[in-house]
Amino acid sequence: MAPVLDIRGLRTAFATAAGDLHALDGIDLVVNRGEIVALVGESGSGKSVTGFSITGLLPAAARVTAGEVRLNGIDLRALSPAAMRSLRGRKVAMIFQDPMMTLNPVLRIDTQMTDALRAHLPLGRAEARARCAAALAEVGIDEPEARLKMYPHQLSGGMRQRVAIAIALLHSPDLVIADEPTTALDVTIQGQILAVVQRLCREKGTALVWITHDLAVVAGIADRIAVMYAGRIVEQGPVDAVLDAPRHPYTRGLIDSVPASHPKGQRLPQIPGRMPTLTELPEGCAFAPRCTRRSAACAARPDPAEAAPGRWVRCFHPLPGAGG
Amino acid sequence: MGALLSPAAGGRGVTQAPILEVRHLTRLFGAGGSLAGRGLAALGLAPPPRPVRALDDVSFAVARGEVMGVVGESGCGKSTLGKIVAGLMRPSSGEVRHAGRPVPAGVPRGLDRQMIFQDPFSSLNPRKRVTDLIGEAPRVHRIVAPREVPAYVAGLMERCGIDPEYGDRFAHQFSGGQRQRIGIARALAVKPELLVCDEAVSALDVSIQAQIVNLFMDLREELGLTYLFISHDLGVVRHVADRVLVMYLGRVVESGQVEEVFDRPNHPYTRALVAAVPRLDRRRVAYAPIRGDIPSPMNPPPGCHFHPRCPLATARCRAEMPVLRTVAPGRRAACHLND
Repeated sequence: MAPVLDIRGLRTAFATAAGDLHALDGIDLVVNRGEIVALVGESGSGKSVTGFSITGLLPAAARVTAGEVRLNGIDLRALSPAAMRSLRGRKVAMIFQDPMMTLNPVLRIDTQMTDALRAHLPLGRAEARARCAAALAEVGIDEPEARLKMYPHQLSGGMRQRVAIAIALLHSPDLVIADEPTTALDVTIQGQILAVVQRLCREKGTALVWITHDLAVVAGIADRIAVMYAGRIVEQGPVDAVLDAPRHPYTRGLIDSVPASHPKGQRLPQIPGRMPTLTELPEGCAFAPRCTRRSAACAARPDPAEAAPGRWVRCFHPLPGAGG
Repeated sequence: MGALLSPAAGGRGVTQAPILEVRHLTRLFGAGGSLAGRGLAALGLAPPPRPVRALDDVSFAVARGEVMGVVGESGCGKSTLGKIVAGLMRPSSGEVRHAGRPVPAGVPRGLDRQMIFQDPFSSLNPRKRVTDLIGEAPRVHRIVAPREVPAYVAGLMERCGIDPEYGDRFAHQFSGGQRQRIGIARALAVKPELLVCDEAVSALDVSIQAQIVNLFMDLREELGLTYLFISHDLGVVRHVADRVLVMYLGRVVESGQVEEVFDRPNHPYTRALVAAVPRLDRRRVAYAPIRGDIPSPMNPPPGCHFHPRCPLATARCRAEMPVLRTVAPGRRAACHLND
């Protein structure tokens, strides 16, 4: 069976006065049915641009310049805008960090949800409403009938995010792209959202791409991890393998920067410098200027190499693997 | 470092006065209301103002050189507490004492308590060059002679990891991490004794966050600084703090040595909070979070504020507010289950 999402060599560029700047430079990513894949990276790594490139929601200045994005085998780049619009919301949906990206502040929840439902399904009002109430109940909202009559500002942040998730899942899409959906939430509320998303993906077999900067969140929820740096996936593999024995020096540095993994009060190992911006990307490995393992070879562009089955690393000097 | 021992809870019977002592601090918002609103309320034409109790009877003490963490979720009052301690806001009642002396509320405020803000993008004046951002306060307050200001600023920049060559630049020309370093250098320029860090590393990427956390710890050692370290990130607080206050809806629900509190929480809220924090070593977690939203501080539940979400709540919790009291040496909690 074809994977739900199959991305090969994806490149996305922003048109600027200085010419095309590539925010994504050769992304390869496969997500299977029912699988949760985490796309991890810091600000500017291109993780959100990856999400927008898949859903066709890139800003006007950006465009995909190369590569393939296949959803259930269908090449999304070949689709007309109208065909893409009919897929969006039905086959692929997105959840944002700020639920107000999904919600219209001046419309009641029921209006927004029934609109989203009836955009793709020929349903009567009453039936659409009943389905919306059921969808709210499914994401753990009490008294869904009463909530349907509310405006977004009358709901708490956690509740709004639940509504946005309910809308994303209305049509039981094959793929959901969640872009930092819990970053703005308090930790006890984050736990509630993680529980909902995790349960629904497992029950419905939805493939999920979870975009985040927080390694600890993905440790708890993801099956596989792809680590991004300056527009490239530098390492990907099963969650345990990547977190317990990272092969790319950047992944190692990222894990070591988390305070919880060190004895109290000890200096945290820090990665010197910062991520280059798009205008200052070096020719070869973008991480080389900050890397302790760099050599003359790193002036060339590293390609992803399969270090172990399902384990890809983009580095000339990968760290030794733990027992292969 | 764990030996930096804290004064007894409440601050009584300490030989050396704690550098910071906070007594029965309460802060209400919207108590007065507008003149027209009050007039209408007096005539019975409008509902009386319902003040928000952002901070409710908070007391604690911090010893010199100690790092006191403050954790809690939205609306718990941790930022209000930070602003009052830093002298940026007056309490509605209660007092702040510095090295044993009461600090008069209002201006001019002392320079010995400085604040580092969460957002280095909005806490620096965009129209000033870095040398002025850092150098203005020491020049105005005559902390160094006018002729020595440039060298003094360069030294601070170097100490905080900013290349002094960049002194002529504006804040927007720096990355988030660099901007936070400028904010720290600015705070240090007036030689404070206490830094209030309000989510000072929360907006930073994790690799940059590690750099700033290290800087805070180095400065503490070199300058003997005391910190009130406010953060929602329990991992960071555990790493930098000696003791911690756990807050919920304006009240301290638990306090004590940070490892004790996080490893053996007493209050059900602390337990829920610690359990909800994702950790690198917890894989494929079946999340079983506590239910319910954080109540609005405008309308807190009666009795124990946490009772609607508490799995252990009893009738007493719904009716009676638990008092924060000592449950073990150096350990305080506010929960009826301890009776």
